[in-house]
Amino acid sequence: MDINTYKAQKSGYYKILGGLLLLTAVTLIQPYMFLENATFGIQLMIGAVKAWLIVMYYMHLKGETLIGWTVGFALALVIFFFAVVMTDVHHFQFKDISYISEQHVSAGEHTQHHEE
Amino acid sequence: MSKSYLEAGETHCAIGHPKSVFWQWMLTIDHKRIGLMYAAVIFTFFFVAVFVALTMRIELFAPGAQILDGDTFNQAFTLHGVIMIFLFIIPGVPAVFGNIVMPLMIGAKDVSFPRLNWFTFWLYIFGALIALSSLWTGEGFADTGWTFYAPYSLNTNTNVITTLVAAFVLGMASILTGLNFLVTIHRLRAPGMDFFKMPLFVWGIYATAWIQLLATPVVGITLVLAILEKVFGIGIFDPSKGGDPVLFEHLFWIYSHPAVYLMILPAFGIMSEIIPTFSRREVFGYRTIALSSASIAGIGYLVWGHHLFTSGMSDLAKTIFSFLTFFVAIPTGIKFYDWVATMYKGQIHMTTPMLWALGTMVTFVIGGLTGVTIAMIGADIHLQDTYYTVAHFHYAMLGGVVFLLFAGLHYWFPLMFGRMYNEKHAKRAFWFNFIGFNMLWFPMFIAGYLGMPRRYFDYLPEFQIYHQISFFGALVFITGLIYMFTVLISAIKKGEKVGPNHWNATTLEWHLPSAPPPLENHSKVPYVDFRPYEYHHGDPVVKFNYETMQRID
Amino acid sequence: MSHEEHGHEYVPEIATARDGKQYEVQGWQGDFYGGKLGFWLFMLTEVMMFGAMFLTLTYYFSLHHDDFIEASSEFSVLLGGTNTVVLLISALTMGLGLLKMRAGDVKGAKLMIYATMILALVFLAIKGVEWTEDYHDGVFLGLPALQAGNPDSRPLGEILFFGMYFTMTGLHGFHIILGIGLMLWLLKRINAGKVTPEHHILHFNIALYWDLVHLIWVFVFPYFYMIGAGHGH
Repeated sequence: MDINTYKAQKSGYYKILGGLLLLTAVTLIQPYMFLENATFGIQLMIGAVKAWLIVMYYMHLKGETLIGWTVGFALALVIFFFAVVMTDVHHFQFKDISYISEQHVSAGEHTQHHEE
Repeated sequence: MSKSYLEAGETHCAIGHPKSVFWQWMLTIDHKRIGLMYAAVIFTFFFVAVFVALTMRIELFAPGAQILDGDTFNQAFTLHGVIMIFLFIIPGVPAVFGNIVMPLMIGAKDVSFPRLNWFTFWLYIFGALIALSSLWTGEGFADTGWTFYAPYSLNTNTNVITTLVAAFVLGMASILTGLNFLVTIHRLRAPGMDFFKMPLFVWGIYATAWIQLLATPVVGITLVLAILEKVFGIGIFDPSKGGDPVLFEHLFWIYSHPAVYLMILPAFGIMSEIIPTFSRREVFGYRTIALSSASIAGIGYLVWGHHLFTSGMSDLAKTIFSFLTFFVAIPTGIKFYDWVATMYKGQIHMTTPMLWALGTMVTFVIGGLTGVTIAMIGADIHLQDTYYTVAHFHYAMLGGVVFLLFAGLHYWFPLMFGRMYNEKHAKRAFWFNFIGFNMLWFPMFIAGYLGMPRRYFDYLPEFQIYHQISFFGALVFITGLIYMFTVLISAIKKGEKVGPNHWNATTLEWHLPSAPPPLENHSKVPYVDFRPYEYHHGDPVVKFNYETMQRID
Repeated sequence: MSHEEHGHEYVPEIATARDGKQYEVQGWQGDFYGGKLGFWLFMLTEVMMFGAMFLTLTYYFSLHHDDFIEASSEFSVLLGGTNTVVLLISALTMGLGLLKMRAGDVKGAKLMIYATMILALVFLAIKGVEWTEDYHDGVFLGLPALQAGNPDSRPLGEILFFGMYFTMTGLHGFHIILGIGLMLWLLKRINAGKVTPEHHILHFNIALYWDLVHLIWVFVFPYFYMIGAGHGH
């Protein structure tokens, strides 16, 4: 590796670091500053952007065809698992007689939390 | 003449260059020796589990208690399941023939990470020892069934944690095997061999390796969560503490359903080797068989929920899973039609491996089609957890995977040992197995349909006749198994010596300089510019000069 | 990667086609791309494993939404945020170390590995402070607050939240410790001359591993520390 590529790559690393620090700062202030009702989604979206930066530039996935496909396949599977299992939970039709709730198993005086 | 890989000193070792033959085996990194050691271990476990099953059959000969009590019976079917699944059939074909044959088929000297392969074997042994250790400690072996369903597995006092740890370690071994094979197949194919010039067994191993790699970690972490739950009681999977046992079943089957494709795909690969070789015809629809392996592996990830039809899953999810499950039958059917079309107008040689392959065609079709019936939600509500499901599973796994494993054992035996078993006896052993197998399992379809539940230690008198037919079937089957292994084992030392290509087959593992092969396989790596099963009027097209490995046809 | 680079005893074989053309055979020895591919595949298993844990977490987040928010608001964003930045910088030092190694600066590479190790230890120390505080507050695995059915019990959803928190950060911490061990091993191999600018697959893969550990934290941190941030207390 010659000195110019080295320098170019080094400055690339610092640029990504800057981006990541910026995103981290947004992560830390967001719940107190804006869109307070959508914290969960915003946080995970920022996480996804950070992850993309890390994978592409720090882990050098950019330009890797075969490895890129394997990573894509694994991620697609995880997304499918999430989609199906979460669909299942949201469409569970026996919520009212389910025992997985706090009113059936008294856990002390904290029962004021339950939803609906 | 090169020396055989079985001779003393003919191996590379993970550590140093030991003089003693014993340590040469213990430390070997040669893929062929590792495969043989896997074979020795897994078949030992196979027989242990077979005899546990026989004990249960004796118990079920008549209603009421005979030789076991109910709790011991629960432990017995758990032991049977854990050994058969985690120690026998999941390593099964990949660990034995993936190791021995796959690198030979692609013209490689070894797998990509030979030291990792050695480590994986010992990790497997370590996991097996953990599993067995729980037999004699504490409250005895787990009594949950091999599925460890919560919440019972969280409450029982038997050694569930030990078994879970063992399953985790064995899972790691399985992941590393798959990883090693994936890199090997991507990197070490002989020059010129692109993916569509690979033998179909390699395709089976490739598809399987993806399942081993990506599905196993999910169950691994599920088992870890179950262990933590048992130790700390934080409520994961325990409905009395806000957890959800259905989540355990989701996570468990996200792995364990693809796992059955992990078992069957390399076995189908063996079938795809045997059928063209003994039909002396190029395989029909090479690409469709290859791609159907890939698509079974892919679709296999999307169907786990059909195990949860009676577990309290939402109706929407049930419908989705039932729909997706039917799709698995399509690529499987394509394979079967391709095999039958390959035999059409071929010169069929009724050798022992071919006999096993044809027998499997009968048993697996029964196993496969009964699987489609229980993929239907309505039928499944009636048949779930009955002997019908048990019979389906054993027809598919024993009559599919294990029969093909035996077929492969007979097919590659002359390659591994350079000797041939007695075909007359081997064929007779096949008939014992085939008849015994059907007699053992077929009555269970009927008993299950009439309502005999699985895993029960006692039953109503009207089911007695089915249990008794099964019992006699089991005796015939076990006789066949012992017969078969006697024939094979005695041939290792005493069989007639044969040349490197005993079957007149075409793929690269039959173009070795000697039988058994030398330590570093082919004398030279060939350049592959031919399809794997080229026959012309019943004769192999491709011929090599075995000194230079150049084509001379 | 060509094989001459590390020029030990291994010489690649040549396969000859019918027309006399010669092709170099890829052996398992000195296969840089193979090593990289193998390690990426290993990392995919980690992705699936943590993916399943996040699925479990999300499942219970949907069942016990309010409890999760409530429990999350108890965490110190300051400590967790500091750790996030520490890990972020350590990813940079690790990457720079690899760059230096590839550019031939072995000494600089070693310095960067040391820096990464120190940052990893800082991360563990802060994590230790957090866990100790949790323990003194009575919130820890096995303590009454995290056991259902006694007077000190937290609500079931909170028990699940904290249980998953200790499980996942514990597993992540285990990966950090493993990473420190790997870096020590790497330094040993560099000193022994086994890892060199020409033959640095081990360094490359350990750098990948460290990025993966960072990557997991990128999701663990917001999921536990931030979802309840700004909700009082």
